[in-house]
Amino acid sequence: MQPPAAPEHPPSAEPAPEPTGVKLRLANVSKVFRNNEQTIEALAPVSLEIREGEFVVLFGPSGCGKSTLLNLIAGFDAPTTGEITLEGQRVRRPGNDRLMMFQEHALFPWLNVIDNVTYGLRWLPNFRFRPLRRRRRAMELLKLVHLEEFAHASIHELSGGMKQRAALARALAPDPKLLLIDEPFPALDALVRAKLYGELQDILVRTRKTIVSVTHDSREAACLGDRVVVFTKRPGRIKAEIKVDMPRPRDINDPAVTAYAAQIAAQLEEEPRETHDGKRD
Amino acid sequence: MRPTTERGTKRYVAGFYLLLLGGWQTLFSLQLIPDYLFPSPLQVGERLWELARDGLLWPSVSATLMRMTIGFSAAAGLGLIVGVVMGMNRVVNQCLRSLFLGLQTLPTAAWVPISLLLFGLSDRGIYFVIIMSSVAAVAIATSDGILHIPPLHLRAARTLGTPGYAMPLRVILPAALPGIVTGVKLGWTLGWHGAVSAELIKSSVGLGYLLYMGRELNDAAQVLGIMMLTILFGLLLDRFLFGQIERRIRKRWGLTSQG
Repeated sequence: MQPPAAPEHPPSAEPAPEPTGVKLRLANVSKVFRNNEQTIEALAPVSLEIREGEFVVLFGPSGCGKSTLLNLIAGFDAPTTGEITLEGQRVRRPGNDRLMMFQEHALFPWLNVIDNVTYGLRWLPNFRFRPLRRRRRAMELLKLVHLEEFAHASIHELSGGMKQRAALARALAPDPKLLLIDEPFPALDALVRAKLYGELQDILVRTRKTIVSVTHDSREAACLGDRVVVFTKRPGRIKAEIKVDMPRPRDINDPAVTAYAAQIAAQLEEEPRETHDGKRD
Repeated sequence: MRPTTERGTKRYVAGFYLLLLGGWQTLFSLQLIPDYLFPSPLQVGERLWELARDGLLWPSVSATLMRMTIGFSAAAGLGLIVGVVMGMNRVVNQCLRSLFLGLQTLPTAAWVPISLLLFGLSDRGIYFVIIMSSVAAVAIATSDGILHIPPLHLRAARTLGTPGYAMPLRVILPAALPGIVTGVKLGWTLGWHGAVSAELIKSSVGLGYLLYMGRELNDAAQVLGIMMLTILFGLLLDRFLFGQIERRIRKRWGLTSQG
């Protein structure tokens, strides 16, 4: 199967991509939440570079600020200090060049499967008044995630795994520069997850997306990531980076994945005892 | 106690209404109240049949339904627009919510005198009463529906590049639909109250008018019969039209647990 043709992006006054191949650059990005009662330092200043086509997993215990960081990259929130740049352009607000696959599928229940996938295309200049073109593109993606037979199904008729696949298709349809994944498949049983990990990698190899994902599952991190960035507990800071040097597709149950997972998880164990309360979830 | 099946329950309900009719008939047969004040179910049915035969019933039913169709469409449209503005602006919401909650404590019939003063005996006054009776319920339910939209849907819409001008129609209204339908259903019932109340005084056709005529003619059978018809039509539209729509939407939005 051919990878779906990338839709051209709106021509904007984009500076030329950086020669180093850096897609996303985080420079001293931190986040402090303040309200009347308290100040919470969620994320200590973090610097990170993510290259074109790389799959980077942000790994850490819950409350380590990794989801906060993902929200900053998506533009839902502004960093307290530092700067996030995508292809040299500063991130200021949410945009369809950085699409997010949410923890819960977040598909629109008032639209059927294919209309959910075409939804994001509607706002791109190339697809603006071209419903047929949108449908064709959406069908390509539904084929990619093996949902073409469910194009006209309602969301509530899909199983949990199918919903996540539909959400993936929706996020890939506008051909974002960056795909953000917040806990890819949380509420699914192990068997479905194992299968989806395989499918996800298959799709990623084909579409060559640059991806940042977040997880607290070390196996998932080892299975999906080219590079795993380990975060400490709050305030989150980068503890270690581990390159996962394994060919794809990787099987979540492969002993080599398990070995990497142990290595990743060990990074957290080395923390002094009093800083974590044993809760990893 | 053994759990009652759904069919079993339905039988009990049917039995309850038969018992009610039987009780009514028994009470009538005892002749405690003179029969021109307290007719039997049979007499009521007969009177309705006479009205229908004489061509008095259907024009009134259709007139009331027509007024409701027009008046309530206007009210729903207005309530929807106001509700969307309320849902999207905190200050507007705070101001109008208190006003509308206050207005809702007013019985719908209390709008009739002012509509008489403003519009005299014209049909416009009936539309006025329908709109004033139902618009607040629709607006409040719409704004509530919007305020309860899962934030995830709004985030997804923003990240997918939805421009601000497209948010109300493409995302906010559909996402708030379950709440809106509930409000429309309630608004319909209140509007129905208002329509019949207004017709009591200022109309020459309609269910309210037939009620009024029944009282003028000391015809208790007609009064009771029209009351029952009013309940029937109100219930029919509420349960079967709006109720069905509501159920389908809630199912599709994944809000029902028991299906």
